[in-house]
Amino acid sequence: MLESLQHLWTGFGIALSLQNLFYCMVGAIVGTLVGVLPGLGPIAGIALLIPVTFGLNATSAIIMLSGIYYGAMYGGSTTSILLNVPGETASVITCIDGYQMAQQGKAGKALAICAIGSFIAGTIAIFGLVFLAPPLADAALAFGPPEFFSLMVFGFIVLSNVTGGSFLKALMMAVAGLIIGTIGLDPVTGEGRFAFDSPSLLGGIEFVAVAIGIFGIGEVLVNAGKPAQLLAQQVVVPRLAELYPSLSDLKESISAILRGAGIGFGVGLVPGPAPVIATYASYMVERKVSSHPEEFGKGAIKGVAGPESANNSACQSAFIPLFALGIPFAPPTAILLGALLIHGVTPGPMMVSEHPGLFWGVIASMYIGNFILLLLNLPFVPIFANILRIPKTILLPLVMLFCLTGMYSVNNSMFDVWMMLLFGALGFLMRQWAYEGAPLLLGLVLGPKLEVAFRQSLMISQGDFEVFISRPISLAFLLATLLFLIVPLLRRALRRSKNRPAIG
Amino acid sequence: MRTREILGAGVMLLLGAVTAILSAQMPIGDFRAAGPGLFPLCLGVFLILLSAGLIVQVLFSREEQEEGKTEGRMSKDARAKEEPGSLAPVVAFLAVMGLAALFLPTLGYFIVSFLIMAGLLTTLGLRRWPLILILSLVTAAGSHVLFVYVLKIPLPKGFLGI
Repeated sequence: MLESLQHLWTGFGIALSLQNLFYCMVGAIVGTLVGVLPGLGPIAGIALLIPVTFGLNATSAIIMLSGIYYGAMYGGSTTSILLNVPGETASVITCIDGYQMAQQGKAGKALAICAIGSFIAGTIAIFGLVFLAPPLADAALAFGPPEFFSLMVFGFIVLSNVTGGSFLKALMMAVAGLIIGTIGLDPVTGEGRFAFDSPSLLGGIEFVAVAIGIFGIGEVLVNAGKPAQLLAQQVVVPRLAELYPSLSDLKESISAILRGAGIGFGVGLVPGPAPVIATYASYMVERKVSSHPEEFGKGAIKGVAGPESANNSACQSAFIPLFALGIPFAPPTAILLGALLIHGVTPGPMMVSEHPGLFWGVIASMYIGNFILLLLNLPFVPIFANILRIPKTILLPLVMLFCLTGMYSVNNSMFDVWMMLLFGALGFLMRQWAYEGAPLLLGLVLGPKLEVAFRQSLMISQGDFEVFISRPISLAFLLATLLFLIVPLLRRALRRSKNRPAIG
Repeated sequence: MRTREILGAGVMLLLGAVTAILSAQMPIGDFRAAGPGLFPLCLGVFLILLSAGLIVQVLFSREEQEEGKTEGRMSKDARAKEEPGSLAPVVAFLAVMGLAALFLPTLGYFIVSFLIMAGLLTTLGLRRWPLILILSLVTAAGSHVLFVYVLKIPLPKGFLGI
């Protein structure tokens, strides 16, 4: 524990260098922007900024990119409260009580409590990250290919289960992502697959193209199809003086903030869109423990404080599996994995010892980033809120142009641009047909890892599938997976038998 | 709704089938020493099974729909929000971007970014030509300065050299 604190101290030395401080700030600002702008979420935001990091060292790059992720959690609440339009999915629940508060003239109070709650919860979660990631990484050193395979299978099943839509469809998307991930060179033998003699295809499908396509272009296309007046609402920008909560507000919300931090931290550790689930879970809990549950939905400050703290905490703790195991459990961390690989860093059990500067530097930067975000989001909220006055007619073409530029600059490749447009069109269709994009992206990023783990496991065991259940850790993951498969089925069966009127 | 579901599942089934057929033509090996085709073959077959499962589920889902009425209410509301306005702007957006990608290497980034803005602004219903011209020009110049001069990203120069 003491050792971790010492490392963290060194990390602060790295994060506080002028260059890293600058990129931390850029990440926080871009993150807030991405969070504020509806239609551009953290996934597309991070993917779009990857090319900008090419000239940087890995530490500065990851400091900036992770800043975008947690920064978006701060920004997302702004639109939820002021416009009743969530800036990103983790702020959907904030609309309920946040917008009500704004209607009652308490927008400033709601925004302030969001920023403060996010800061407290984020800081608590980073503490967890400091103390949990290194021992987890140590434990994961014992993982062989079968354990990693089972862990990834667990990740896919849980993610498909919790994404909200149909489980079957989500699983189909994950498999489709894995299939797309097999295009290019076989990771074991080096032979070309599904390349049809095209050198571009032989290089594989760039995951950034899929991410920007589905989550950037696809989102813009959905918005382009909507009637214009939907987004042309009046924005009431709160005055600066309103942006400081009273002591009684803080007192009222602190328990919700702390509970949110705890819930978010736990949810962030398991696969799934952690910040989103954390907000729902926190809202339910707050309503349940409240002595005035009837106030929820009518502008309860706890209904804003809890979920907004939970999504920040979840977003920070989601870095634990990424850094310690090398396995992202949701698309934003999957994109960060891609970014790390581009910069020559393989996250996983060895990362803490191989790249201590990066690991501790990035963690220390999160404290600084959260502080910057608190400063950004309190006095500067009016500025960010004014961005919402940019009409959609101008915003959507701008996002398209940025997507095109960002995509081209990843590899200077027109092939990637075409792929991005193709996946953009697919992303639009997927939205119309209610297919989730998250499992597909995760499948694509984890595909090669999963295949290598699968083939190596069977090589070790001479083709015997028992290897996956004879090793205790692997068995535990598979049993957990089974549980996630069975419980929803049981629940549905139970509900069916309850709904069915007793006959005779 | 049901036709759309089956169409979607059909597309996925097709993807699974194509994957399975193509990977079956690669060296498969066995589980002890897998060839490049084995893993995608498994994925293809798995996707076929899942898609077929979804089709069966949709075909036999009437009973479930009735039972899930209360549960379905919220998702129906959510779906209503998601309902697309019209398809025309979406197709127009894709066409503009497709043309932009096609001509980017020859025309260069500056001209193409101008054309993208002008094209998309028009698509979204802006009809005041001076405004379109000014907005597109400002964006093209601004993004050129940002990407080429500040971020030093090498973008296609085209025949004009910008």
